[in-house]
Amino acid sequence: MSDQATPSKNGFFLKADRITKVYSDGTVALKEASLEIRPHEIVGLLGENGAGKTTLTKILSGLLPPTRGRVVSPKGVVRFVSPREALDFGIGMVHQHFALVGTFTAAENVALSHDRPFTGIRIAETRQDLNALMEESGLHVPLDVPVEKLAVGEQQRVEILKVLSRDVDLLILDEPTSVLTPLEVDELFTLLRRLKDEGKSIILITHKLKEVGSITDRVVVLRQGEMVGDVKTAEASTEQLARLMVGQALEDEADAVELSTEEIPHARTQSDVDRTGEGILHVENLIAKGNTGEIAVDGISFDVYGGEIFGVAGVEGNGQTELVESLTGLRVPVSGTATINGTNILGVDPRQIYRLGVAHIPEDRWELGLVLPFTLAENAILGVHRWEEFRGPLSFLRWGKITQHVRRLMDRFDIQATGPNAPAKSLSGGNQQKLIVGRELAKDPAIIVASQPTRGLDIGAAHYIRQTLLEMRDAGRAILLVSADLDEVLAHADRVGIMYEGKFMEVCSPEELDRERVGMLMGGATEARREAE
Amino acid sequence: MSGNESTLQSRLLRGAHRTLTGLHPALESLLAAVVGLLVGAILMYIYGFDPWRAYMGLVKGAFGGSYEISSSLSRATPLILTALTFSICLRSGMFNIGAEGQMYMGGIASVLVAYFVLPTGLHQIAGLLFAAFAGAVWGIVPALLKVTRGVSEVISTIMFNWIARWLALYLAIFVIVDPMRTEKTLSIPVSARFPVLVRGTDLSYAIFVSIAFALVIYFLLWHTAIGYEVRAAGLNPTAARYGGIRNKRTMFLSFILGGIAAGLAGATIVMGLPPTYAIYGGGGLPQLMNLGFDGMAVAMVGRNHPIGILVAALFFGGLNAGGRVMQFYGSNPVPLEMVRVVMGAIVLVMSIPELIRIFPMAKKRTEELIGSLRRLTRRSERRESA
Repeated sequence: MSDQATPSKNGFFLKADRITKVYSDGTVALKEASLEIRPHEIVGLLGENGAGKTTLTKILSGLLPPTRGRVVSPKGVVRFVSPREALDFGIGMVHQHFALVGTFTAAENVALSHDRPFTGIRIAETRQDLNALMEESGLHVPLDVPVEKLAVGEQQRVEILKVLSRDVDLLILDEPTSVLTPLEVDELFTLLRRLKDEGKSIILITHKLKEVGSITDRVVVLRQGEMVGDVKTAEASTEQLARLMVGQALEDEADAVELSTEEIPHARTQSDVDRTGEGILHVENLIAKGNTGEIAVDGISFDVYGGEIFGVAGVEGNGQTELVESLTGLRVPVSGTATINGTNILGVDPRQIYRLGVAHIPEDRWELGLVLPFTLAENAILGVHRWEEFRGPLSFLRWGKITQHVRRLMDRFDIQATGPNAPAKSLSGGNQQKLIVGRELAKDPAIIVASQPTRGLDIGAAHYIRQTLLEMRDAGRAILLVSADLDEVLAHADRVGIMYEGKFMEVCSPEELDRERVGMLMGGATEARREAE
Repeated sequence: MSGNESTLQSRLLRGAHRTLTGLHPALESLLAAVVGLLVGAILMYIYGFDPWRAYMGLVKGAFGGSYEISSSLSRATPLILTALTFSICLRSGMFNIGAEGQMYMGGIASVLVAYFVLPTGLHQIAGLLFAAFAGAVWGIVPALLKVTRGVSEVISTIMFNWIARWLALYLAIFVIVDPMRTEKTLSIPVSARFPVLVRGTDLSYAIFVSIAFALVIYFLLWHTAIGYEVRAAGLNPTAARYGGIRNKRTMFLSFILGGIAAGLAGATIVMGLPPTYAIYGGGGLPQLMNLGFDGMAVAMVGRNHPIGILVAALFFGGLNAGGRVMQFYGSNPVPLEMVRVVMGAIVLVMSIPELIRIFPMAKKRTEELIGSLRRLTRRSERRESA
């Protein structure tokens, strides 16, 4: 016990030793990431989407094998072939999307997770064990109600109970608070602290800085697969963490500034944007709800003028998605006004919005942007398939013209594919995105709404897409660029709005911001705002 | 020249690879048919029949001559349409199990032409319109329930099948009944019948209704913006919404088209199947029964593609027509039910998703083989160029 309380050099429970993960499509999700987990500790794993947090924890919990590197326990190297083996070893993971059978009760769900082939399911026994466990952990859920009838917070508790009932030593929680109400978050944190006192190790995946500060002992920051920070929470400031997360590691800040200054002069050549009156896109007091009914966009007003890029920066999940969806016809907002060249676009069908000259590069190219089993040609007319160019009399599609159009797109946007009839799912991520960008820009739009346009792309494709956006801006189009990549926004936007909890903390030119203040604003540090005022 | 050859070579290799690993849909259907027939053969063998002779009888009975081919085509006629019902809705992402009921309603509605007089041609069209309308109405109701109340279309269409069945039976026995011969409904007047296409057989011009409708659906789905929307909404509703497609509309459209197809299927039987040209109420609508469900099997084997359905319907029509012959085949009378066993086995095999995944080892092996072949060709090319 005593050596657990004061972990010695070897007092770790599990260690990730220089783990690299390359997915089969060539994406490098982790680069030489190392992480040591000790008992009596809550580690916050901080990073943007795609930073590699989930990949790292999946490797630790046996869901994925590492490409290189190893997982080490005090007894030697461990290799998990399945999550079950990891569970037997004492590692349990609670996923963001719960793995519960909705029509089963909590007891049945837990019993199911204990099930082995040919052993049968022992509900009564499980119930007894669960009652004892609930007493012990203070984690109470109704055992005999189908879990689909439980609140989300309760369902999560069932998941945690499921893992705890296997007597784990390391509990990994993937974004556990994203679905919880503030009260439920408090309850969860109380529980986590108690588990920590009992000697368990906990990894908390999150991108919310506030949570990290309030519960973790140590913070590990990942950025684009690389470990950029491993600090004691008490010694790190929120701004510092925000910088690590969205900016770059402190030590190579010099490099990064160089990189961005290299692009900045090229990016901003036009200063003669006329910003009088209403912009091409005019938004006033927009309020929209998120999927769970919470206010996600909280009274935002802004204008985007022709010939400028208006950037929206911020940690993801602060209302950016809902803002974009409201402006592109995919979400009906609660109130407010939004117009394009004076015509209302709120609650209007996407098809009519496109007619007004809106191009939408959606944040999720697989779910929203493409019909993956469709061919290139079929995808190239999604949203414009009713335009005269492609649709003849009797609603017949002009396949000849469509094929020509696709060939032009493939040429102009350098889309690598076997031909117009190749299925979109056979393309690489970069080429899929180029297809979407090409399709949208071919609409000859007045305004381009680009949401995370370069996420997950290799450097070449990302650069190409950014250049294309700059060209469109120089051609006098208005561009709304929403991105979680802070460098991208700062380097390309003419004006930036920094979003936090559904509001703009600040709208200004990127030159007026330094990295530190951006970090603070993104973390919701109101002092920064007050100082500025 | 050698460059061209190598691309041809690699293309062939890629083609072979795709065939072996992904299995071309048509091949998969063929494989399912073969496995189905094999299962039937094994069962026949177990029960002491001679499978070879039975299948010879089946093939002869199905395609042995112009009479046999006509019988097969005649049996394929309604199946093409009920298969289209299932496929159109599946393409829009819905499971429409209701072809059976919609077909009953169409059949009943087409009997109404017996109540008025029209010149030939118009009279047939009137009957088809009635049937199409009745089928469509029966299809819209589950779609409405789905949109307004969130009722699963699988459940509601199945329930509507039963409502339609009893309603049709009631109407056939008590309302549109032939007062002279109460076991059947009024007969379709001669001016509204589809004439027989091949003399002495029960193949009528009604088959052109089926083929034409299949072609219409093909052009609609693959060559019009409307069909494009239906397919997009079926494959990815979220992306469809992003593309300005109203998913509810595509869903309604698919149910209406499906209902029309099933309604017409009923009409092809009532107006186009000699010699009765009426619906027999006695015995529970024996002429119509199960055509809707068999259509689903045809749709699966036809890979939910109108052209594939035409081929698959001919195959199933052949099974039905040939099965009767198999039954009376000399010393080897295999019961007709065996044909249904074969059909069932085919459907089972078809429902195994991506058949080839049962043999992941085989897949891996072929991949390795093709990889090494490629390396070899590349090496020889290099040598040549050197």
